[in-house]
Amino acid sequence: MPVHPAGPRLYRSIKFEHLGKGVIGKNRASNVALNLTPFVDMMTILVTFLLMVFSASGEILRSQAGLEMPIARQQGAIQRAPTITITEEAVKVIIEDENKPVPEMTEVGSIQNLLANPPASQRIEALHEKLKASWDDIHNNIAAKNSKKFSKEELAACAREEEGLPPITKTDSDGNENVLTYCPEGLVLVQADKNTDARIIGMIVNTARLAGFGKMLFAVKYDKEMTQ
Amino acid sequence: MGAAIGAGGNSKHDVNVELNIVPFIDLMSCLTAFLLVTAVWVQIAQLGLKPKGKSRDPSMMREEEEKVVLSVLIQPDNIWVVQSRIGDQQSIKREGDPRNYWKIFQDTLAEIKKSAYFVDRRDIELAAESLSDESKVIYQDIVFAMDIAKRVGFNDIGLTERDSLTAKPQL
Repeated sequence: MPVHPAGPRLYRSIKFEHLGKGVIGKNRASNVALNLTPFVDMMTILVTFLLMVFSASGEILRSQAGLEMPIARQQGAIQRAPTITITEEAVKVIIEDENKPVPEMTEVGSIQNLLANPPASQRIEALHEKLKASWDDIHNNIAAKNSKKFSKEELAACAREEEGLPPITKTDSDGNENVLTYCPEGLVLVQADKNTDARIIGMIVNTARLAGFGKMLFAVKYDKEMTQ
Repeated sequence: MGAAIGAGGNSKHDVNVELNIVPFIDLMSCLTAFLLVTAVWVQIAQLGLKPKGKSRDPSMMREEEEKVVLSVLIQPDNIWVVQSRIGDQQSIKREGDPRNYWKIFQDTLAEIKKSAYFVDRRDIELAAESLSDESKVIYQDIVFAMDIAKRVGFNDIGLTERDSLTAKPQL
């Protein structure tokens, strides 16, 4: 195969002659002007829609294999906190560490084992240890009013809690009252598969409570239609 | 240049402006690709609750007052709604279409919320009891019950075990 010097090939190697032949027998210019108007229209609509659904808060929950979240008609926003993840197979805990770029995920028990041999005190030891350490860390940072770790709103929520005032709430479009920002002290997020046995949920709630976590947020998928 | 004036015609007085939309399309394409990659397609929300019982944090302990407490126990085949001290208990059979029995549950809670004991109150206790691997209550059932309780006006939900309920159903 011969080697040609570099350069444009359009209209030479590929001639596009058919484009210029609108009517047989007549010669027309082979330049075709594409109408970009519908393309720009579509792009504008798509960009507008995507900008509207864009969330700058980042991803708080990770998607996991074997985990389908339950549905509910609630719109309260989730908040960054230690996360207990319950899949079909295992219980894991995700805790942020200042020294690591990605939060650490640790498996603390298998569902099969926990159901076959439930702990006598309904407390998952490995989870309890992790949560206790996390509670101490959060407690110390809140006491020191560490603004690098917690936002202004979170520290303000803690101050309100200390004064015995109720948290600031906002009513959503469904008429439900939701807390705007929780104090991170004693706050834990639970992301569980919708088919998880209630016995496992009981163990998780009990363990979290004994570790000092008195506020639990159950992550759900908002679905207005399904919960009518 | 961003625009070419009179590029299309030969007339000296041609005022047509041809905008160069290539940079605009480039920017739009980049923005669309970025937004598509970072888009959140599932709206995730939360349901807040307070675990009930002993804790290492003393501020979490709830005061035991002499008042009527509304307790809900979810079992695989029944939902019990019990009010302590006045001895009122209702059982909702979990048979047929789940939408039907959850609707009955919602109506029952709404009725109780209107009563003199609960009109100004927002607290409710909730427990779920799985009997075996075959006859179990799943997490979605707990979430449905909490969701309905919140919608009715019981925002302060305490989740506990069956034995820790203030008002247990008398079977």
